[in-house]
Amino acid sequence: MSAVLEKITPSAAPPAVTEERFVFTASGSEYFRIWIVNLLLTIVTLGVYSAWAKVRTHQYFYSNIRLAGSSFEYHGNPLAILKGLLIGVALLGGYQLALHLSPVAGFAMMGVMAALLPWLLWKSLQFALHNSSFRGIRFGFRGSLGGAYLNYLVLPIASVFTLGLLYPFVHQRIKRFQHTESRYGDTFFSFDAKVGAFYKAYGHLIVLQIGGGIALGIAGAILGALLGWAGLGAKAGMIVPFILIYPYMLCVTWAFMAVIQNLIWNHTQLGPHRFVSTMTWQGLMKLYVTNTLGMIFTLGLYIPFAHVRMVKYRLECTTLLVAGSLDDVSAVKGGEVGALGDGVVDLAGIDLSL
Amino acid sequence: MTDAIAVPGRFYDGQSARAHRVVLSVRDGHACLEGEAQRCVPLAQVRVSERTARAPRKLTFADEACFEPDERAAMESLLHATGHRDGSVVRLQQSWRAVSIALAALVLVLATGYLYVLPAGAAWIARALPLSVERQLGQGVLDVLDRHAFRPTRLPAARRTALAQAFARLAPPRDGAPPYRLLFRQSRIGPNAFALPSGDIVLTDELVTLLEDDQAILATLAHELGHLHERHMTRRLIQGSVVTAVGTLVFGDATSLLAGLPALALDLRYSRDAEQEADDYAAAMLRQNGIGLAHLERLFAALQELEEKDGAPPPYLSSHPPSAERLARLRRQLD
Ligand SMILES: [Zn+2]
Repeated sequence: MSAVLEKITPSAAPPAVTEERFVFTASGSEYFRIWIVNLLLTIVTLGVYSAWAKVRTHQYFYSNIRLAGSSFEYHGNPLAILKGLLIGVALLGGYQLALHLSPVAGFAMMGVMAALLPWLLWKSLQFALHNSSFRGIRFGFRGSLGGAYLNYLVLPIASVFTLGLLYPFVHQRIKRFQHTESRYGDTFFSFDAKVGAFYKAYGHLIVLQIGGGIALGIAGAILGALLGWAGLGAKAGMIVPFILIYPYMLCVTWAFMAVIQNLIWNHTQLGPHRFVSTMTWQGLMKLYVTNTLGMIFTLGLYIPFAHVRMVKYRLECTTLLVAGSLDDVSAVKGGEVGALGDGVVDLAGIDLSL
Repeated sequence: MTDAIAVPGRFYDGQSARAHRVVLSVRDGHACLEGEAQRCVPLAQVRVSERTARAPRKLTFADEACFEPDERAAMESLLHATGHRDGSVVRLQQSWRAVSIALAALVLVLATGYLYVLPAGAAWIARALPLSVERQLGQGVLDVLDRHAFRPTRLPAARRTALAQAFARLAPPRDGAPPYRLLFRQSRIGPNAFALPSGDIVLTDELVTLLEDDQAILATLAHELGHLHERHMTRRLIQGSVVTAVGTLVFGDATSLLAGLPALALDLRYSRDAEQEADDYAAAMLRQNGIGLAHLERLFAALQELEEKDGAPPPYLSSHPPSAERLARLRRQLD
């Protein structure tokens, strides 16, 4: 009956939802080749090629991300990136030099950097999004500079002064800022994760860390006493929890990463289209353990493979529930965005990934 | 010939995300789309994305409209037929043989850079840099140490003056030794001697009592003067920064912990080289002034005893090679 009705009045029914998975088709061995060539050219050009290397790498990764049959594209201009990079080198170099010259100059420079950082992050977000496109439509960022200062400077400082009690709130605000101010064409992302959910996630993290630490400590003490009786030395028993505590804490960290990632993306929408994230701590554990072992045993040659696997896992945990179709998005034509902040953010290794 | 190849795909007009079903073909040097959208543009005004194993090869037009082929094979043969050639870097990236050569070249460049170019370059820059620049480095370090690690010296003034005068009388092994200031301190962290970029050579009371032998104390001071004369602070600073920068470049994709370790390990060698250079400087200085090298040996032996007694080297010595090794090296030179 309802099916008949839908056929008669299609406009009245909610648009059909199709599940579109992100698919990542990059391969470790291909990225390995790109990586080696990039490294060689960057080193023999004393770093100048790194701007082109960045563009090549980004183009490779973006073009291998597929969603609903189409792939993404990166448009960063190497010359603009090089300019940003040079400014970044000058800024961070000046900072390092000031630190070496005298503690006072170092502190002054630290203050300058802290005051500049939100602006640089803001420019960098604009640059990264403006230079990404999907189906011929570019992404963008409209967040205000004031918002950047509030979220990247004022709130983090406030969280330090409250001994971290405010930190989950700050985390939520930063993600909210990034996700509500980003757009794909003329369609904005939205973010509806509550502050309470962030507090809950952080609360679980702390309970697991402290509770697990105490449990392992007690177990170690008992084991030490038992081994002492058996004449094997109490020291051996005390070592066991130390060996166990490290993997335990890592597992807790992975679980937390998965929870936060899912929390953020399950509450993010692009217009009417909802994201679903299904990351698990077991998945992260498998990935991190094998990647780390791979990198150690190949003296680093596994790095590009590890990188591809990491991006693949993160992307393929994510699904977009497309309500109706993606066709309704229109382009917003805007001016170019400078790569000024991009250089510093890259050099400082700040991860802005949405 | 090229007329025969038609590539089905989707066209995005750059205005909306809607896909238009089209067929691409190349005629008379023009890329032409037909179907739900029409356009014919000279090939020179169309950008083709670089070749990779699995990503689609897109055509992008000047107005950011783009064409995405449904299948790779048809697009590849069209590009082949139109004589499109990949850039040299792309060809390099796609060939395992070229990449193997690139990897070998990379290892070679990194190894020679690390072993020869960087030490030589850093030494050259350090010598070219006026001394006053180095003297600016690490200002305030002594204040911090005085507050946290040192107390005023308890050595009698006469003993301090005697030591300072004895050292001032020694001629350095080569000309151009920088001015220095000799400071005595009582230490909370055990026997110690070090030079600061400011030109201050700090000697602790504990080391003076440990060595007993005045000539061995002069040998210690000669080692520290060697650090100043060889411009080790500036050189280490340059070498350390470059190693960290290249380390981040190479290992940056790894986690931060793994990224820091190789740079740390690689820096150790430079630290050892600097110590050996300072040892050689001290040996040359003693020889120049007719002091037996046995006194330098006495210093190493005393430090070795200390290492064995404490199990681990005292804090400042952790950057130095084990004394037994330094001793063995000195003995080899004596033979
Ligand atoms: Zn030394």
